[in-house]
Amino acid sequence: MIRFLWLDYRAALRERKVWFVVALFAYTVLVLPVLLARPPPHVRDAMDTWFGARDPFTLFMFMWTDLAMNKLIATAAVVLAGGVLLRERDTGVLPLLAAKPISLPGYFAVRTTSTCAVMATVYLGAQLAGALYFSVMVEGFRPGTFLAAASLHVWAAVFSTALAATLLVVVRRRGLGLMVGLLALLLLVGMAFIGFYNPAWATVSLLNPISLGVQSLGHLDALGPGVLVPPMLALVGFTALTIAAGAWSVRDMEV
Amino acid sequence: MSAIEIEGLSRRFGAVRAVESVSLSVEPGEIFGLMGHNGAGKTTLLRMLLGLTAPSAGRARILGHDVASDVLAVRRICGYLPADYALPPDMTPRRFLAYVAAMFSLPRAEAEARAETWLQRLGLIAAADRRLRGFSTGMAQKVGVAQALINEPRVLFLDEPTSGLDPLGRHELLELLRELARDRGVTIVFSSHILSDVETLCRRVAAMHHGRLVACGEVAALKREHGVATMDDLYLALVRREAA
Repeated sequence: MIRFLWLDYRAALRERKVWFVVALFAYTVLVLPVLLARPPPHVRDAMDTWFGARDPFTLFMFMWTDLAMNKLIATAAVVLAGGVLLRERDTGVLPLLAAKPISLPGYFAVRTTSTCAVMATVYLGAQLAGALYFSVMVEGFRPGTFLAAASLHVWAAVFSTALAATLLVVVRRRGLGLMVGLLALLLLVGMAFIGFYNPAWATVSLLNPISLGVQSLGHLDALGPGVLVPPMLALVGFTALTIAAGAWSVRDMEV
Repeated sequence: MSAIEIEGLSRRFGAVRAVESVSLSVEPGEIFGLMGHNGAGKTTLLRMLLGLTAPSAGRARILGHDVASDVLAVRRICGYLPADYALPPDMTPRRFLAYVAAMFSLPRAEAEARAETWLQRLGLIAAADRRLRGFSTGMAQKVGVAQALINEPRVLFLDEPTSGLDPLGRHELLELLRELARDRGVTIVFSSHILSDVETLCRRVAAMHHGRLVACGEVAALKREHGVATMDDLYLALVRREAA
């Protein structure tokens, strides 16, 4: 099964849509310093209110995480997960593969896991490229803190991919499933910072996996395992539960 | 023990009876023909034997494994080429065969050796590292045959395998199937509406019409029974008898 997962991951990496997602991430890395050059005043004020900080790096991290990465993981997750099971069913590949000695739930779990791995690969590639580029382009940039924050947020990207794949098979119709996945993810992304805006909601907001992925922004000066590991583990749990729900929903699907 | 035992297998889709109470058996190493026009129920029957479609009633066993309760064991010993399918366009034949072999948990070296063998045997070696996108129907069908054989199946289900093949490719495939049955003892269920292929290959056949089994037996005996000389005439006689 490990070899099958590995081959599926490599096959998924070679799909055309991955290049589209790579282009989205590359574009985001390239344009962020341009956006950062003249941030809107209300964003600066918000930084002061939410994080009690006005330093340029906090502003950069907010822009990178919320304005760029959060929106991007929602979009990229839907693009990458759009082929899991339903596209294979619709194009006629699934009848061939479903006759092999792996159950449909097992096949869904493998395909979704490898798609999540593709998302993580592209995401981490963009973070590494960003760390090099921003070191030159962004004043006061702290690559260590940037990469530590990315090590948590990547799990939010992985969760987004699993959720998009699961919603697709729950809905069972490709177009509608992609739409529902995108709306659900944008809703979660839209509420990701609600615990920062209103501290009274900070605990409840942790039920939102995307909020867990941005927890590092409240601790940029003291990022360590104590801050990063608990939300990471929670995101791994959310992802596993989501994949399990998707696998359960396809158990009686006929191809 | 029969390789395939089917007892009263049925499948309904709403009011439509796709397969109705089919019972038959196939002996080990036999090439068994399944004939019938489009929509006769051949594909649904094959899909039920592989657990891809759940039966509404009845039961079936493949080499002793129940297709409902032991479906993964059934698939492990079977090869299947569906009538309608597509290949992943971004893979090459070599990678696709490795991918399918991994689904059977074959060790890497063994999977590569088997893939190489079938790529050679089916004349695909020159195109082995080209993307499947853009393959001709005949070439894609050969890759389809190779994936059905990669696990060295003991039972092979082929649904319209000669469609899309040119005369030479068709001849080579029929020869390969004879060899698999003769030399390796593979049991083959060959479903087709090309009756000349069925006659060329099979000693025993079953004919399906509107989901029902209308005849099952040796080709020669069926011809004698219905007083006909060709497969076409036999099939027409069976269908006309049903219509009457």
